[in-house]
Amino acid sequence: MNDKKTLVGFLVFVAFLLIFPFIANSRWLAVGTTFIIYSIVALSQDIVLGRAGMFDMGHALFFGLGAYSTAILNTVFNVPVLWTIPVAIVLPLIVGILLAAPIIHLRGDYLLVTTIGFNIVFEQVLKNNLFGITGGPNGIFGIGAPEIFSFQFFSQQSIYFLSFFVLMLTFFIIRNLETSKIGRALHYLNEDSLAAECVGINTRFYRLYSFGLGAALAGLAGVLFAVQYAAVSPEAFSFIQSVLFFTIVIVGGPSSIPGILLGTFVMFVLPEIFRQFATARYFVFGIAMILTMILRPRGIWPAKFGRIPKYMVKD
Amino acid sequence: MEIFFQQLINGLTIGSIYALVALGYTMVYGVMKLINFAHGDLVALSAYIGLVVMMQLTGASVPNYIVIPIVFIITAIVIAIIGVILERIAYRPLRSAPRLSAVVSALGAGMVIQNGIMLIWGPRPKIYPADVVPNIYWNIGGVSLGLMQLIILVLSLVLMVVLYLFVNKTKIGTAIRASAIDQLAAKLMGINVNKIIVLIFIIGSSLGSVGGLFIGMYYKGIYFNMGWIYGLNAFVAAIIGGIGNIPGAMLGGMLLGLFNAFIAGYVSSTWADAFTYILLIIILIFRPTGILGERVAEKV
Repeated sequence: MNDKKTLVGFLVFVAFLLIFPFIANSRWLAVGTTFIIYSIVALSQDIVLGRAGMFDMGHALFFGLGAYSTAILNTVFNVPVLWTIPVAIVLPLIVGILLAAPIIHLRGDYLLVTTIGFNIVFEQVLKNNLFGITGGPNGIFGIGAPEIFSFQFFSQQSIYFLSFFVLMLTFFIIRNLETSKIGRALHYLNEDSLAAECVGINTRFYRLYSFGLGAALAGLAGVLFAVQYAAVSPEAFSFIQSVLFFTIVIVGGPSSIPGILLGTFVMFVLPEIFRQFATARYFVFGIAMILTMILRPRGIWPAKFGRIPKYMVKD
Repeated sequence: MEIFFQQLINGLTIGSIYALVALGYTMVYGVMKLINFAHGDLVALSAYIGLVVMMQLTGASVPNYIVIPIVFIITAIVIAIIGVILERIAYRPLRSAPRLSAVVSALGAGMVIQNGIMLIWGPRPKIYPADVVPNIYWNIGGVSLGLMQLIILVLSLVLMVVLYLFVNKTKIGTAIRASAIDQLAAKLMGINVNKIIVLIFIIGSSLGSVGGLFIGMYYKGIYFNMGWIYGLNAFVAAIIGGIGNIPGAMLGGMLLGLFNAFIAGYVSSTWADAFTYILLIIILIFRPTGILGERVAEKV
C-alpha cells in the first residue's frame, strides 16, 4: 500500500520533470537545472548526514572538487568534458576518504567543526590560487560542453536532460543502497553505533564507505554545475553553501528521498520565486527555518520506519 | 625579536576577544549540548547597538570616560534580553527534538539576526568613531602597546576571573555545573534547570556583547555579516580548549589569537583561516575532545 503510493508519487515527479523544460522559459529552465543539480548534492549529503548519521557540514568541498576537476582539466589541459567525469568522481572519492579517515571517530559536533574546517581550507586554496591553476577569486571561465557521438550538450535543454539522467542514476544508487546490506548497516550505525559495533558491524568501514560514496556523487554533480554555468568560482563551493546543503537535509527530512527533494525546493527554489523581495528574503527565510524545526523537528517529510526493520515485524 | 613581541601583544588582544565570545558558546554547549550558531551574529549585533548608543551619548557633552562604561552596560543589557528571547523562541521548543533540528534552528536564528542588521543599518560597513578611546600608544623598546589594547586585555581578564569565581565558588555556579553534568539529576536535586539555562544565555550574551564592542572599537569597521567570521573563530577556540569547559574556552581563545597573530606576522594573512583550521584538525586528531576536554568514551 505504502509502496504503491511511493511509486505513484515517484512517477508523477518524474513525469513533471520530463515535461518541465517544454513549458518553462529560459530563466526557469536554468532554475530547474540547478534544482536538479542541488538535489543530487543534497541526496549525496544525505548519505553521510542522514543515513550514516555523521555531522558533515563541509559537503560543498566535494561538489567543488568535482567542478574544479572538470574546469581545470578542460580549460588548462584541453581534456574533453566527458573524459574529465571519471576524474571528477574518483578525486572527491579519494580525498573524501583520506580526509575522513583520521577524524571519523570524532564525536558529532567535533566532526561537524572539522568538516567546516576542511571546507574553509579548500575555499582559501581556491581563492589564493594554489599552483596557479584555480583562477583565484574569479574562478575559471569558458568550460566546454560535453560531447557524445558528436552530439553537443550545448543548449540549456540538453544540459537539463543530462542532469535529469544523473538524478535518475542517483535515485537508482540510493534505492540500491537502501535495500542492501550496507544500507541496513548504516541504519543501525545511525540508531546506535555502540550496539552496531557489538553485533559485529565494522563501523569504521561503513562510515568511510558512506563518506566516499557521498563525496563521489557530489563530485559528479560538480561536473554538471561546471557544464551548466561554463564557469566555476570559489563562492559556489564556500562554507555557506555547505550550510545550505546541511539545512536542506535536516529541514526536508533525513534519509527520505521525497524529503530531500522537498527540502531542496523549499531552500533553493522558493527564494528564487520570491526574488522580488530580495532584501528581506533571507530574514523571512530564517524565521521560516526556525518555525519549520519547531513544528516538524524531524523534517517536513521524514523517512518513516520504526526502530525494528520491517521484515522482522509480523503483520 | 620586536616583531615577535608586537605579535604577542596583538595576539593576546585578539585572543581575549575570542575568549570572551567563546565563553558564550561553551557555556550554552555545556548545559544544552547545542552549538548556538546565532551567538556570532549576536556579537555582531552588539557592535551595531553599541555604536547607536555611543552616537546618542556623544552628541550630548558628556566626557568619554563616562560614556564608554554606559555604552557597555546598555549594550550588554539589550543583548542579554535578545539572547533570552532567542532561547525562548528558537531553542526551548526543541529541547527534546533531534539535536540537528536545534542546530538548524540556531542557523535560522543567526540568519534572522544577520539580515535584520542588514535591513536596519544597510549592507555597507559602519565606522566606529576614532576618538572614543584616546589614541594613546606606549613605546616599549620598539614594541607599541595601545590604550585600547590595554583596556581589552585588563577588562577581559577581570571578566574571566569573575566568571571563573562565580561558577566555581557560588551556589548558583554549582547549580550551573550540576546542570552541565546531568540535567535530570540536577532537576531531582531541586535545581530549576530552565532558570539556569536562561541565566547561561544572559551571561553568555553579555560577555559576547563586550566582545562585539571590543571588535568595533579595536578594528573600527563593522559589517553586517561579520558575525560568521568572528563567531566561527570563537567557536573554534571553544572547541580547541574543549567545549563545555570554561577555562578551556579562555585558553583556546588566547591560543587561537596568538596563533593567528603569528601566522599573520610571519607567514601570510591570506592563509590565516586555513592555518586556523589546520591547527584545529591537528589538535583534534591527538586530543579528540580538545586540550582541556574530558576524556570520555561517548557515542555520537
